[in-house]
Amino acid sequence: MSAGLDVDLRVKLGDLELEHPLVDASGTFDLLEHARRFRGDYFAAFPYAAYVPKTVTPDARPGNPPPRVTETAAGMINAIGLENPGVEAFVEGLPALAALRQPVIVSVGGNTPAQYAAVVRRLEEALAAGGPPLPAVAGYELNVSCPNVRGGLSIGVDPRATANVTAAVRALTRRLLLVKLTPNVTDLRPVAVAAVAAGADGLALVNTFRAMVLDPVTLRSFLGNRTGGLCGPAIKPIALRMVAEVAEALPAVPIVGMGGVMSGLDALEFIACGATAVAVGAANFTGLEAPRRILDELRRECEARGFARLLQARGIALAPGA
Amino acid sequence: MRPGAHEEHAHAEQWAATSRSRVVAVRRYGAFAAIELVAPEVTALAQPGQFVMVTVPDGGFLLRRPLSLYTARGDRMGLLIKARGAGSERLAAVAVGEALDLAGPLGTGFPTRRVSSALLVGGGIGCAPLQFLADALTEGGAQVTAAFGFRDGRQARVAGAFDLPRLWVATEDGSVGRRGLVTDLLAALDVPASTTVYCCGPLPMVAAVQRWATAVGLGGFASLEAHMACGTGSCHGCVVDTSRGYLRVCSEGPVFVLDEVVTP
Repeated sequence: MSAGLDVDLRVKLGDLELEHPLVDASGTFDLLEHARRFRGDYFAAFPYAAYVPKTVTPDARPGNPPPRVTETAAGMINAIGLENPGVEAFVEGLPALAALRQPVIVSVGGNTPAQYAAVVRRLEEALAAGGPPLPAVAGYELNVSCPNVRGGLSIGVDPRATANVTAAVRALTRRLLLVKLTPNVTDLRPVAVAAVAAGADGLALVNTFRAMVLDPVTLRSFLGNRTGGLCGPAIKPIALRMVAEVAEALPAVPIVGMGGVMSGLDALEFIACGATAVAVGAANFTGLEAPRRILDELRRECEARGFARLLQARGIALAPGA
Repeated sequence: MRPGAHEEHAHAEQWAATSRSRVVAVRRYGAFAAIELVAPEVTALAQPGQFVMVTVPDGGFLLRRPLSLYTARGDRMGLLIKARGAGSERLAAVAVGEALDLAGPLGTGFPTRRVSSALLVGGGIGCAPLQFLADALTEGGAQVTAAFGFRDGRQARVAGAFDLPRLWVATEDGSVGRRGLVTDLLAALDVPASTTVYCCGPLPMVAAVQRWATAVGLGGFASLEAHMACGTGSCHGCVVDTSRGYLRVCSEGPVFVLDEVVTP
C-alpha cells in the first residue's frame, strides 16, 4: 500500500474548505448536461472539489455567431460570448443540483456593477427562500474578464471598474467572493489589488488571452466573433508567471490558478507559483476522465516529492522574500 | 413531417466514457479512409446519425475529432475519415492494429421508424453517416434512394465505400456521374410523396436540399457538421443557428429537423 494515500490535499479558499485543490474552470464542464444525457451517476462521480458552472448574466444571452471554437498549436481558441439562459432560468435549475455533495461557486457576468449585483441579489433571495432543497452555494466568482463580449473590452482591464463591480456585490453577500482576472493587461497587480481592496476574498486567474485565428483558405478570421480567447497548454507559462506575480504582491490572498492545466504536474506548478486551488479548463474537452486523472497524478507528484501535505509546495517558485 | 419525430431522435442513448478501440481494417479511397474498429461499448447503443469523439493518437493535438458512425454491425464500428487538416490527416493515416481512444455514441440519431421511402443526400464527407442510416432503414423495410455530390472525381472515389442499391452521384467537374451539384440530381429523381429526406453535408448543401424539399413538399432531417471542443454539451462551441435559436450540434444535434435549420 502506497504511503501516498496519506497525502493531505485539502485547501481553504477563505473560509471554504475544499477536499482537494481542483475545480472546473467556468464554462468547461456542464454537470447537469452530463447527468441528463449520459449513463452513470454524475453527481456521485463529480471529480472536482467545487463546481463552477457556466457564467450567469441577468438576462439570457444567445452568444456569438458560429464558428466559435477551433484548435490552435498547443491549445484552442473560443468565442462563445457568455451564452447562458439568464439568472431566472439558472435559479429554476438550481434544485437539479441539490444532489451534489460539493459546494457550488456561481460564476457571475454582466456589463455594469448593477448587472452583477442583480444576479447575486436574485441568487441570495432564492437561497434565503424556503422551497425545494438546493445545492450548497458557497460563493461567487465575478467574471470581469470574458474577452468575447462588447468588442473585447472587459471590466477587468480597469482597476476602478473592477473595484466598483466587486464592491457592488460585496454589499449583498457574506459568501466567498472571488474575482476572475483577465490576462489582457500589461500588469495584473493593480487590478488584483483593487479587487481585494473592494472586498474580494480571493482571485481567480487567468481567463483566456485575446487572440485571432484565420481560415487558411480565405485568410479571413475564422471565428464568427473575429477574435476569441486562447487557452490550453500554450498559455500555461504565461499564466504561471502571472499567478506568481500576483501571489508575490498579495501573499495573504488565496488564488485559484488556471491556464493550460493538463496534468497533475501542471496543477502542482500553479501551487508552487502561489496558488491555493487550481482550475482545469480545456483539459475537460479531452475526455470526461481528465479531472480524475489529473487529481491522481497530483497525488502521485506530491508523494514522489515527499510532501505529506500539498500546501508544502505552495509558493516554492516565488521570489525569495516574497 | 411526422408528428413526434423530434421526441424520437431526442432519446437516442449516449455513452460519454472513453474506451480504447483496436483498428481491424482500413480501406483507402483517395483522401478518405474507411476504418473498422472493435467497439462494443459504442455499437451496443449506436443509432444512425450519432457520432464518436476520437482522440488524435499523437502529434500533441488537444481536441478530439467528431466522426459520424459510418457502419455498426455486431461489435464492429466503421468510421469514414477525410484528411482535411493536420488532425484528420493523422486519423486517416491510422494503421491496422493501432488503438484509438474514443467516446460515444454521442448526439441525437436519425429517426428511422415508420419510414416507407427514404431519400439520402450526402455532400463530400457528409455522406459518412448515410451507410449506417441506409442499413437501418432497409432493415425496417424502407425503400432507400441515395444521391451523393462531390467536387471532383478524386473525391467521388469514396462512393466506392458505400453499399447502396440505388446510389446516384454528381460531381461539379462532371468527371464522375452527372455534372453539377447534388441538388441537380434530386430534380431528376422520382420519389413517392411519402418520402422522408435525410441529408448531411456542408451548410450551403443543406440549404439547397431544404429549398428543394420545401418546393416539392417533402420533410426530413439534416445532420450538421461543426468544429467541436468538448463534444459532450459543456462548451457551447459547436452551435448552429436554428428556428429554436443557437443549438449545439453535439447535444441537440447533430441531427435536426430539416426545416428548422437556418441557412445562409
